[in-house]
Amino acid sequence: MPQGFTLRNYIELFSDPEFWGSIGRTLVLCAVSVLVTIVLLLLAMYVVLVVNRRLGAIMQFVCMIPYALQGVILSISIISLYSGTSTLLSNRMLMLFGAYTVLVLPYIYQGIRNSMNAINAGMLIQAAEMLGCGKFTAYWKVVLPNVFSGILVSALLAQSIVFGDFVLANNIAGNNYQNIQVFLNRRMFTSSGLASAIVVVIFLVVFVITGLVMKLEKRDAKEK
Amino acid sequence: MRKIKKDTLLGYLPILPFLAVVVCYELLPLAQLVMSSLIGKTSGTFGFENFIKVFTTPLYQASILNSVKISIFSALIGLVVAFLAARACHECGQVWRSRFTMLLNMTSNFSGVPLAFAFMVLMGNTGVLTLLGQRAGIGFLGDFDLYSGQGLMLVYIYFQIPLATLLLLPAFRGLQPQWREAAAILHATPADYWFRIAIPNLLPSILGTLSVLFANALAAYATAYALVMNNYALLALQITSKYKGDVQIDKATGGALAVVLILLMILATLVSSYFTRRAAKGRSLV
Repeated sequence: MPQGFTLRNYIELFSDPEFWGSIGRTLVLCAVSVLVTIVLLLLAMYVVLVVNRRLGAIMQFVCMIPYALQGVILSISIISLYSGTSTLLSNRMLMLFGAYTVLVLPYIYQGIRNSMNAINAGMLIQAAEMLGCGKFTAYWKVVLPNVFSGILVSALLAQSIVFGDFVLANNIAGNNYQNIQVFLNRRMFTSSGLASAIVVVIFLVVFVITGLVMKLEKRDAKEK
Repeated sequence: MRKIKKDTLLGYLPILPFLAVVVCYELLPLAQLVMSSLIGKTSGTFGFENFIKVFTTPLYQASILNSVKISIFSALIGLVVAFLAARACHECGQVWRSRFTMLLNMTSNFSGVPLAFAFMVLMGNTGVLTLLGQRAGIGFLGDFDLYSGQGLMLVYIYFQIPLATLLLLPAFRGLQPQWREAAAILHATPADYWFRIAIPNLLPSILGTLSVLFANALAAYATAYALVMNNYALLALQITSKYKGDVQIDKATGGALAVVLILLMILATLVSSYFTRRAAKGRSLV
């Protein structure tokens, strides 16, 4: 039973280098995997829009597989294939970043596709071409600025997915590369006060991300 | 002619990095998973040996049964609560609706390890509610065992509710207020309206949500692992334990269990899409 009000748990948490380490690793994972996925998808969508429209259906199928499979299958299938092969690919870090990139694929793909459909990107590129603009320039200078806010919203959503992930980090990296959730799982059994403080920090971060998403969506809705 | 072909080939270049990542970290691992499930653990030959082993070993039988049971019940109970919540949210004003949506967004992110920890603090062996229950003599709270099947069920139901409500809300927006007025004019009672007009109309969305919830519970891992570690027969836990830990990786059994999980999820999707199509007959749905 609680004895009285105290901020001791927060002081202890914030002076723990392991906590800052796990926060830092989580942020690196978020930023790298989301950025890589955005770049990969934007390049791929260029091909779908400009070169071959029929690839769209295949891309949708491939991008939705991780959503259906979720973390357990994704993580163990990657471990199963690469661990113990003693190649570059059996590097746990590479496996982890690859897995996260695939994990956020469905969310970012949906965001990019929806916003490209909303502005009718194919038509925009044709219009720009008629005005003497190259295809790639049209994509880069006309389409991308217009889908930017849609990408931002889906990127934020993906951040909260990565931030809340335990399965991939625990299965693939384990204690070698602890993210915030693995850190919490380890501390949970030693000090409940400290663990509560970690949960509050996680919740605050998710709260800020959710608030930003809702604000951006509202702003977009107003502009339309 | 040649030049055109070269140009198109060059045009496909930007999709290559995407393909490389998807092949390396999604398609190849999956293919290998299915392959290793089909190569017998002891015999080393191609066949269904691993699957026969999975379906005849009591631990794995119990895992599959428990997983299916917990997924079905948590999905159904969560859906009923979410239906009432979505109805309430739909019928209140704009201000409260956006507040409620914010709350739903927050709570739907409240899952995995933090959720398990929150339940431990509340209802674990020395949890606040458990201690209160013991002092006040409320048997249900005092004797509640969080680290068991019933504990898992409670936590699973909890995380299904916000997700289900978020998924059902858009469907409620499709209910026209005129239908209710028309029903009232024709002397339909509120019960008539809900059971004969509103629910049949919402049925495609309800069934779709049910299948998402089922798959969600089936694949959930973090919450269960944080609560019971590997000490409970659950499909997701058993699969992972084959690839992790101090013992050697058991790709054959793990692969077979994983394929069973994938098949169950595909089955749920197929069943729901069949009923959704039946329920949506004569209507154009997106």
